[in-house]
Formats: sequence, C-alpha cells, structure tokens
Amino acid sequence: MLKSIISILALSYCTLCLAQSDSINDSSSRHINLKLAYISSLIYPGITTGIEFPLYHINEKVLKNQKIVRYFTKGRFVSGNLNWYHHPDFHDNLYLTAEWVMRRTKFSGFISEFSAGAGFSRTFLGGTTYKVDENGNISVIKLAGYNYALITIGGGFGYDFSMKKQLPLSAFAKMNLITMFPYNSTIYFRPVLELGIRYSPGIFRSKTIKESVYPSKPK
Amino acid sequence: MKQILFFISLLIFIGCQKEKITISSNASEAFYVENAGASMRVLVQGNTASSTFILVIHGGPGISSYFYDTKYISKNLGDKFAMVYWDQRNAGASQGTSNGGELHLDQMVEDLKKVIEVLKYRYGQNMSLFLLGHSFGSLIAADFITTVDYQNMIKGFINVDGSHNYPLNDTLTREALLKEGNYQVSQNKNVEKWLPIISYCNSHTGNFSIEESQQLGSYASEAENYVDSINHINIVTQVLKYSITNKYPVTAILSNLLYSEDSNFNKEIAIKQFSSSLNIVTIPVLLLWGKYDFTCPPDLGKDFYNHISSIDKRFVLSPQSGHNLILEDKKIFCNEVASFVLTHR
Repeated sequence: MLKSIISILALSYCTLCLAQSDSINDSSSRHINLKLAYISSLIYPGITTGIEFPLYHINEKVLKNQKIVRYFTKGRFVSGNLNWYHHPDFHDNLYLTAEWVMRRTKFSGFISEFSAGAGFSRTFLGGTTYKVDENGNISVIKLAGYNYALITIGGGFGYDFSMKKQLPLSAFAKMNLITMFPYNSTIYFRPVLELGIRYSPGIFRSKTIKESVYPSKPK
Repeated sequence: MKQILFFISLLIFIGCQKEKITISSNASEAFYVENAGASMRVLVQGNTASSTFILVIHGGPGISSYFYDTKYISKNLGDKFAMVYWDQRNAGASQGTSNGGELHLDQMVEDLKKVIEVLKYRYGQNMSLFLLGHSFGSLIAADFITTVDYQNMIKGFINVDGSHNYPLNDTLTREALLKEGNYQVSQNKNVEKWLPIISYCNSHTGNFSIEESQQLGSYASEAENYVDSINHINIVTQVLKYSITNKYPVTAILSNLLYSEDSNFNKEIAIKQFSSSLNIVTIPVLLLWGKYDFTCPPDLGKDFYNHISSIDKRFVLSPQSGHNLILEDKKIFCNEVASFVLTHR
C-alpha cells in the first residue's frame, strides 16, 4: 500500500517537474519608483503622486526541457501616496495612503499588479459652508470638511519600458476602490481609475551584486 | 514636492469655498449648512432675481433632492423662480461623520429652519419663500408649519403626494390597494399580480407593525406598475440621464439611502401624525396628488386639506399619476405650482 502511494507521488512529481523554475533574488532591480498619475471617477478629475520602496524582488524563470518558457519578475513594494480629486459641488478630497503592492512583470514588459492600503482623508466641502448659532447669527466656516479613515484596494496592468528598451519608465492603468468611514455613520466608497507613469531613477545605476538562488520548485 | 502640491490644493479648496451669491435669471450655485454633525448641501437654481424661492423637501427618508432637479422644471419653474434643492442630513450629498444619532424628525425641522435662515441671509430677508414637500418631505414640512410660529417664515406650502400622518397613511394605503386591486381583478387585468396584494391586505387589517407598514409600502410601489392609466417614468433612465450633467455623487447617494432606509429613524416616524395640530396652519396651501398614488393615497391629502385652517387652499388630482406626480404629470405640476406661487408671493 505504502509502496503504491510513494510510486504515485513520485510519478506525479516527475510530471510536475517537466516545468521547473529558477528564482533569483535580483537586488540590482531593487530600486525606488516615483509615481505620477491622473485619477478620475467618471468625469471628476484628480491627481496622485507617490513613492515606492522595494521590499524584495525576484526574477523567476520557468524551465521546460532545459529551455526557458517563461521569465518574469515579482516585486513587493510599500508605497506612500498623496492623492486628490475634485467633485464639483460635492467635495474635494485630499488623502494620504500607505499601500502594500504586489507586482509581476513579464519579460515582454507587461505588468500586472495588486495593492491594498490604508490612509487618512480630509475632505473640503464643495461650497461655502454656513453655521447658524442659537441666536440666529450666521457665520461662514473656513475650510469646512471632514476627516475620515480610509482603506483602498486596487488592481491594474501596465507596461515596463525598461524590459525591452533602455527607459526607466513604466505606464499603468489601475482601478482602485477607496472606502472612507465613518461617513454619515456608514461607509462611503468610490471607484477611482488611475492612469499614470512610474519613474525608476535607480534602475540602471545599480549593477550589484548579491544574488540568491532559491531552490527549484515544481510548477 | 508634496508640500507644493498641498499648498496648490489648499488654494483650490479655498477658491471652491469662497462665498458666491448670484442674483440673476439663471443662477446655479451650491452651498452647505452645517448643523448638529451634518453638512447639508443646498443647490439654488434659476431666477434668483425674482426674489421668489421654492424650497424642495425631498422624500425618503434618504432619497436625494438631485432627483427633483430636471430640465423640465428648470425650464418651466426655474425661469420664473429660484428652485432650492436641499439634501436632508444623511441623504444625497450631505456629509458628516458619526452623526446617525442626530437623525430624527425634530432635528430635521431645526435643520430646515436653519436652511431657511441661511437662504434669507444670502438672498435677502424680504424674499418670498414657499415650501414644496414630496412624500416624506411633507412630514418634515407638516412638523415645521405646526411648530410655534414657523409658518410665518414662508408664504405658502405645496404638498405633493405627501404624508403628514403615518398611521393613517398605512390604513389608507391598505384601503386604496384593496379598492384598485379588486377593480383590476374584476376587469381581468394583471390578476396574478394583484391577488397576493389583495390577500395580504385582507389578512392585515390594522394596528400595523413597522414590518407590515413597510410591506404595504412595498406593495404600494409595486401596484403602480399594474395600472395602465399612469404615465410611467423609468426612474433608472432618469437617474442615468442626469447623473453626469447634474454631477450626482452616485455612491454617496446610495450609501446614504441604504443607511436611512435601515435606520431606527423609521420606527420613530411610523407613529408620527400631525392631523391633530394642522388646525393652526393658516398660510395658503396647494395640494397636488396622483389619483393612483397608493404610497400616500389621495385621501391623505384630503385629510390634510380638511384639517388646516387656511382660507386659501386648493386640491388638484392628476388622473395620470401615481406617487411621482412631479415627473409623471410634469405639466400639471409646473402649471399649478407657478400659478399658486405667482398668486401668493
């Protein structure tokens, strides 16, 4: 019985081993990124700028019959972003977020990514705001608005120009969902489309250095 | 870099909140009134130079005033008067943080009073102001005009398919559904749709719980779909039509609606009635009702009409409307409102 199980497992393993991967922790690719993007919900415009710090970066090759069939890099980053959008007559929203970013870049340059984060939002109401006191005296509240806690998740795709051309740039499109709370004792959510570029100033400067080879793993 | 952006943004915000008061025949401006944890949006549109303002108190709770701002109304009322669209607390574009505890009727009446005070502060104390309540909005208006001398702040009240007495409303909804349902069945129209409604009404005869009241309300909305005489308006098409041009904050409207629909506030208003205090009302009143309004049946309007002491009062029944006369019979609506306001301003 045990023999049979071991045989089946060995067979399955051999089948899986037709494809093998080789992972290299490539510190030469570990660099900060600067981001600038246009953000919008439907027709309401905004802008976001941010900086990304790498946590780790792995170049991964998938082998089949000793040939590379797929090559891609996996990156993990933490980012800090300053965002703003303008919704006329409703509010302007200035919000800071810290995000954890998972990014995968194919050898062709195609990027896919996912991010999640938290932040702080300060809204500014979209019109003069009045307050009436007990005696009926009316005053204008300056910079009227509210502070909210904020959570964001998002996903998108893009193209990394450094993979094929010598350009330290990537372009991306990303859909984020921001939720703010407590908003009128409930949650406010807003889908935000982000279109932007990412600049990697250190991408060709660093030629190092330390490479770690991870054990091959079955695919 | 971030600091520069922050200061640029700050300048933009200050610019957006700069006090702007337009006196013209074609004004359009929004401002906010902050009270008890809520900043309520007020949109003023139309002829502010006329010094005649119609303040729309939307239905709900939790619906938004955005849905009342249509091209037809702008063209046919906004050209003569200034239309004022107020988003109640926890509705539409109104904003705040943990303010659910302040969501009750007395607070909304105080909110309304403050909105009127700000309107007069902005556009002149001598303005002619009319209230226009629709559905739940008329409950706020009924509370307002029966509170001390508040009715003196306005020139008249327009009650459109409104409710001033929720317990009576439930009774009348049940009766109206039974009457129309039995008629439609006798005519062999939508029989399979009407039978469950009739059955529910027959088995729930009075002293309605909040759940029964909500079920009657749900049947009342549904039943309008089975009446051919109504000039049906597709609300979804209407929303899509105006969501971009009127800059709807769609997700805020939705969040507020879901919160208000589910809040304890509904338990409070389920027992509210102002029939017994309406006798103090002496201002001119116009009542506009849809013949097939099962949500707030015409007999509710007649109860309002019979209890007020106003000498100048008028009741108009639209033969092609349900609960949304403002959209379903827009011609009657605009003509009657314009005539009433021109007479009493």
